[in-house]
Amino acid sequence: MNVVALLAADPLLDGELRWTPLLIVVLKVLVIFVLGLVGTMFMVWFERKVVAGMQNRIGPNKAGPFGILQTLADGTKLFFKEIMNPARSDPWVFRLAPFLAFVPAFLVWSVIPLGGDFTEGRDGTVTWFGQVTRVQLADPPVGILLVLAMSSIAVYGIMLAGWASGSKYPLLGSVRASAQMISYEAALGLSLAAVLLSAGTLSTAGIVAGQNSLSNWNLVATGFVPFFVFLVAVTAELNRPPFDLVEAEQELVGGFHTEYSGIPFALFYLAEFMNTITMSAIVVTLFLGGPQPITIGETTLSIGFIPGALEGTLWFVLKLLAFLYAFVWFRATLPRLRYDQLMDLGWKFMIPISLGWFLLLAAIRTGDANQWNPVVVVVSSLVLLGLGYLLFVAALRVSARNREREGAMF
Amino acid sequence: MSQYLPIVVLMVLAITFGVLSFAAAKLLAPSRPSTAKSAPYECGIVPTREPPQRFPVSFYIVAMLFIMFDIEIVFLYPYAVDRGALGAYGFWAIFGFSVVFFLTFVYEVARGGLDWGPIVRDRDLTADAAMVSPERTATSTVRRVGTEGRVPENAA
Amino acid sequence: MELLVFVIASGMVLVGAVGVVAMRNPVHSALGLVLTLFGVAVHFVAMEAHFLAAVQVIVYAGAIVVLFLFVIMLLGVDTAEDLSIEPVPIQRPLAVIIGVGTVVLVGTAVIRTRDTIARGPELEASGDSNIRLLARNLFSDQVLAFELTSVLFIVAVAGTVLMTRKQKRVAPDRDRVGS
Repeated sequence: MNVVALLAADPLLDGELRWTPLLIVVLKVLVIFVLGLVGTMFMVWFERKVVAGMQNRIGPNKAGPFGILQTLADGTKLFFKEIMNPARSDPWVFRLAPFLAFVPAFLVWSVIPLGGDFTEGRDGTVTWFGQVTRVQLADPPVGILLVLAMSSIAVYGIMLAGWASGSKYPLLGSVRASAQMISYEAALGLSLAAVLLSAGTLSTAGIVAGQNSLSNWNLVATGFVPFFVFLVAVTAELNRPPFDLVEAEQELVGGFHTEYSGIPFALFYLAEFMNTITMSAIVVTLFLGGPQPITIGETTLSIGFIPGALEGTLWFVLKLLAFLYAFVWFRATLPRLRYDQLMDLGWKFMIPISLGWFLLLAAIRTGDANQWNPVVVVVSSLVLLGLGYLLFVAALRVSARNREREGAMF
Repeated sequence: MSQYLPIVVLMVLAITFGVLSFAAAKLLAPSRPSTAKSAPYECGIVPTREPPQRFPVSFYIVAMLFIMFDIEIVFLYPYAVDRGALGAYGFWAIFGFSVVFFLTFVYEVARGGLDWGPIVRDRDLTADAAMVSPERTATSTVRRVGTEGRVPENAA
Repeated sequence: MELLVFVIASGMVLVGAVGVVAMRNPVHSALGLVLTLFGVAVHFVAMEAHFLAAVQVIVYAGAIVVLFLFVIMLLGVDTAEDLSIEPVPIQRPLAVIIGVGTVVLVGTAVIRTRDTIARGPELEASGDSNIRLLARNLFSDQVLAFELTSVLFIVAVAGTVLMTRKQKRVAPDRDRVGS
């Protein structure tokens, strides 16, 4: 317990602030900032290229080698585009909304462990300029809750953008989007609780430190279900296909950012793709051990010729790329859901499942600690979960019958 | 509190970036507003109807339920983080809480609080087999469908 | 440093609070409320109550004000309402009286008990100590209050259902074909 408590802070910022730590902080902030922008540029290019490949097209190939500078060209172009102010918009909120979307996207970066020295059982700290620190911007006591807080702020960006536009389609898109985002935020939070149960700390560095071998990865330790719930919820939270009803072109033109042009639009776009990267990074951190190398039993898959401090970053990037590819893959493969299907999936499937799974995990762990008979614990838990399931199905039946009798209200 | 310092610095940097982008666009981009340009976008059709003033009450119910879940989640976190020290007593506390919570949720579902979209009717296809057959007729490739549901059964 | 944070956070709270009352547009008022809640969250952080700060943002700013905004949009009050017409005539003077009364009450309470307010034990600045202490309190001394919170859920849901899902009397339905 003591180790975890010690872990939950960046040793760099303990005690009095001096010039060297401050310099490191400034350096870290700049690196993260540039990394965020460059990473987003890369992500846009990556998505376009991979989707193109999956659809037998070439994709961007003119600007730079393999078209890798395409995003830079697009971004530069947007600086020269007129910023339009729709006649019926609310000028202040209309300008504020892009900020509410992309500033939280940036802030999520600050709690992601981007690397670290985990070779031979080290705890992930590195020494820079004689200062012991972590390869992550900050490790505040709220830890992973910062991510939840930021995603609840991001809802405002979308909601207000649609409202302030003073136009039909953006308003419809934003109301849909915000209902979707808060629905899946509940699923996200519940599956996160399962991770906290096995990690026992809020700090992202602590969560990573606990996953020091393959069987300790939260993916395995929480029994896969929270991982899948989290992954689906993240996809919905990001408004990415197949959950991109926000910008269902056939119905809503561009969704909440229909009325935006030029730089404000670019900021929304930036936020969207940056969120894709940061949320993938959060999935890696929570379930796949972040920058920890893959350790099975006693053997560690180690990349020999790379110094320990860089190896963590390498593992992190590899795991991250797998998820970025998966998100693009989803987009290329899955058709968009209908809105009622989306809501049913969130509320009637994922939320009850993650709540039940959390209680099951808690029961098993408490049983372990108190020497309860494991068979009794598992059987009685399953019976209770079964009862809950039957009750829920009965509720659905009742509701369907009532609707049938009364006629649909909408 | 100093643990938050880097986050604040990053936030300031991000906001500065946004403001500078806006300023740069102000300098670089043309500004030629016109009535047509600043009208609400309706795919080129002149807007005839106002944006919707009211929304289905389901959105309100979702937001209400979300508050409940948020509160439940916020109570789960302290338990999850400190489970080791809380022991069986803590487990039964959170269990009782969650059971009441779940029953409330079930009640809301049973009262149709989370119903969206059209009614899904399961049709008994065997009963319609005479009218609806998957085979194509000789004269067309269109599937034959019955008149069921369109003319009153007892009209004839 | 601490003073600076205090001044900034209090500024946020006050500006937001004034904004809630003074803004003509209900959506702007809701945004003012968000600012106030953020200021309170910063105060929590300054007092080393990290978990509460996170809860403040996640629950209040992330859920409750979103509900407010939904209601504002749902009813279309953002454009339709004329503030000069009062549905209940007495509410404005009543609001002034209650407001002044609360300020006086809290003010006197602070002034009279200033010497007796004990400083709590210094918390460790870092780590999960915060959430752990809260958990131990919540699941031992306060467990009854905690369980009673779930009763609040029942009230909330019953209220929602009553308001939104009125049982329609099923009239003989002539539109339905074939019945």
